[in-house]
Amino acid sequence: DTVFKLKYCWCRYKPEVGDIVVGRVIEVAPKRWRIDINFSQDAVLMLSSMNLPDGIQRRRTAVDELNMRSIFEENDVVCAEVRGFHHDGLQLQARSQKYGKLERGQLLSIPPYLVKRRKQHFHYIEEYGIDLILGCNGFIWVGEHAEPKDDMVIDEQANKSDQILKPSKYSMTLEEQERAYTPLETRQNVCRTANAIRVLSTLGFSVTIEIIMDTVTMSMSLKEIHEMLGSEFCVLVAEREAERRSSAKKKG
Amino acid sequence: MTGLSVGEKLFIQGGIAQDLRTDGRKRLTYRPIYVETGVIPQANGSARVRLGGTDVIASVKAEIGRPSPMQPDKGKVAIYVSCSPTAAPMFEGRGDEELSAELSIALQRCLLGGKSGAGAGIDLSSLVVVEGKVCWDLYIDGLVVSSDGNLLDALGAAVKAALSNTGIPRVQVAADTTGEDQPEVDISDEEFLQFDTSNLPVIVTLTKVGRHYIVDATSEEESQMSSAVSISINRRGHTCGLSKRGGAGLDPSVILDMISVAKHVSEQLMNKLDSEISAAEAIEDDS
Repeated sequence: DTVFKLKYCWCRYKPEVGDIVVGRVIEVAPKRWRIDINFSQDAVLMLSSMNLPDGIQRRRTAVDELNMRSIFEENDVVCAEVRGFHHDGLQLQARSQKYGKLERGQLLSIPPYLVKRRKQHFHYIEEYGIDLILGCNGFIWVGEHAEPKDDMVIDEQANKSDQILKPSKYSMTLEEQERAYTPLETRQNVCRTANAIRVLSTLGFSVTIEIIMDTVTMSMSLKEIHEMLGSEFCVLVAEREAERRSSAKKKG
Repeated sequence: MTGLSVGEKLFIQGGIAQDLRTDGRKRLTYRPIYVETGVIPQANGSARVRLGGTDVIASVKAEIGRPSPMQPDKGKVAIYVSCSPTAAPMFEGRGDEELSAELSIALQRCLLGGKSGAGAGIDLSSLVVVEGKVCWDLYIDGLVVSSDGNLLDALGAAVKAALSNTGIPRVQVAADTTGEDQPEVDISDEEFLQFDTSNLPVIVTLTKVGRHYIVDATSEEESQMSSAVSISINRRGHTCGLSKRGGAGLDPSVILDMISVAKHVSEQLMNKLDSEISAAEAIEDDS
């Protein structure tokens, strides 16, 4: 009989410079956003540390400061990089195209120690059409794939073109909303991936891209996606991990 | 609960419309239900029910009392719910008053029927000892330990499990009392009668998001609701109680449709709950 000793501790995240993190905007303040990244203090993303919507490298003007909510507003989910600890506290930056607002998907929260620091934290799973971002802070984003955009969300731009595809919170009829929904097959892949992460997190296993994808593949044999959260699948995942670890031991 | 971004809200609504919720469930699928009975040894009966992230405890305490003069042939039942600060920081101090009151009233409406006691899911006449003079008062307490939506259904299940676990002590009534005097009663310490819960209803809450209804909503899904209707249905498929919350109005045809959906869902839920309760009692008996 094997005895499982699970040390389950909801450790706070310990930031390191260069970490990719996913967080939620709590406050829009003058020239900065305050972001919750599951750390003992809120992180700060300065307007000057963000790429501007028009992509031009220039000094931020008063108009930019007033338009901050057109970039990120309260409760938005954003992806950024840890710049370091400066006078204001923990500073983030989002200077590359791939950082920014995350929209069509779901945010999961797992203990940070389950996310190993790797070279890659952004994963575009092409065959499933989904984006997977493993934040070092334990916040994980799983969503419909979004092309790294040149255009951030500025309402004027969205109104001119592609109104059907861009969800704007005002003036969308039910039909327009329904057309804007994520396609079912992509949604299935998002749900499977999210559930895979949930099971791995419940079991206290490290969450890496390989293990997640392996778990998703295992789940294809289930009749229903929600069965992934039941006890039988949980046992299968645990057994698989045991296999993995024993074969790793043999090799190493 | 933290807020949700526009994108996340749309994702949740889209999932419900496409019958694939964020955890892969269909609209009418419940989360796995875990039941433990006898969690509070000092109570006459108790149970703990977990539904995903929602965790509730119900306890039943039985005391000897007098029946109300208006219903001399019935015992009395009081149901009260409170929310622990462990469920949410806002429940600290008196922060849970509004939610607790709402849950208590909804449970009473679902289980106790009208003021006259008619239509009650709990058979009050089984609680009478000496008509007009001695009866059992049941105090049912619900505690919300952790909240992730669908508190009412979880509490309903916990109350059902706790009542299944409840033993009412056997009472010997002194035979020689007459007239208006309170008879002497001898309450057994050893002999217990299991409370009959065969007619006890389950509560099914249907949450309306957009055009569709879902059962067992999580906190996130509840934040997107326009309205929710909770219906208690017994084994025979009869509606024992109903309550609605949420600001949006509902067309009567929608409510009737919701009742029929709830009836369909309640069969599965009732069976699942009964088997979980039996399994829990079996474990408790073994230990």
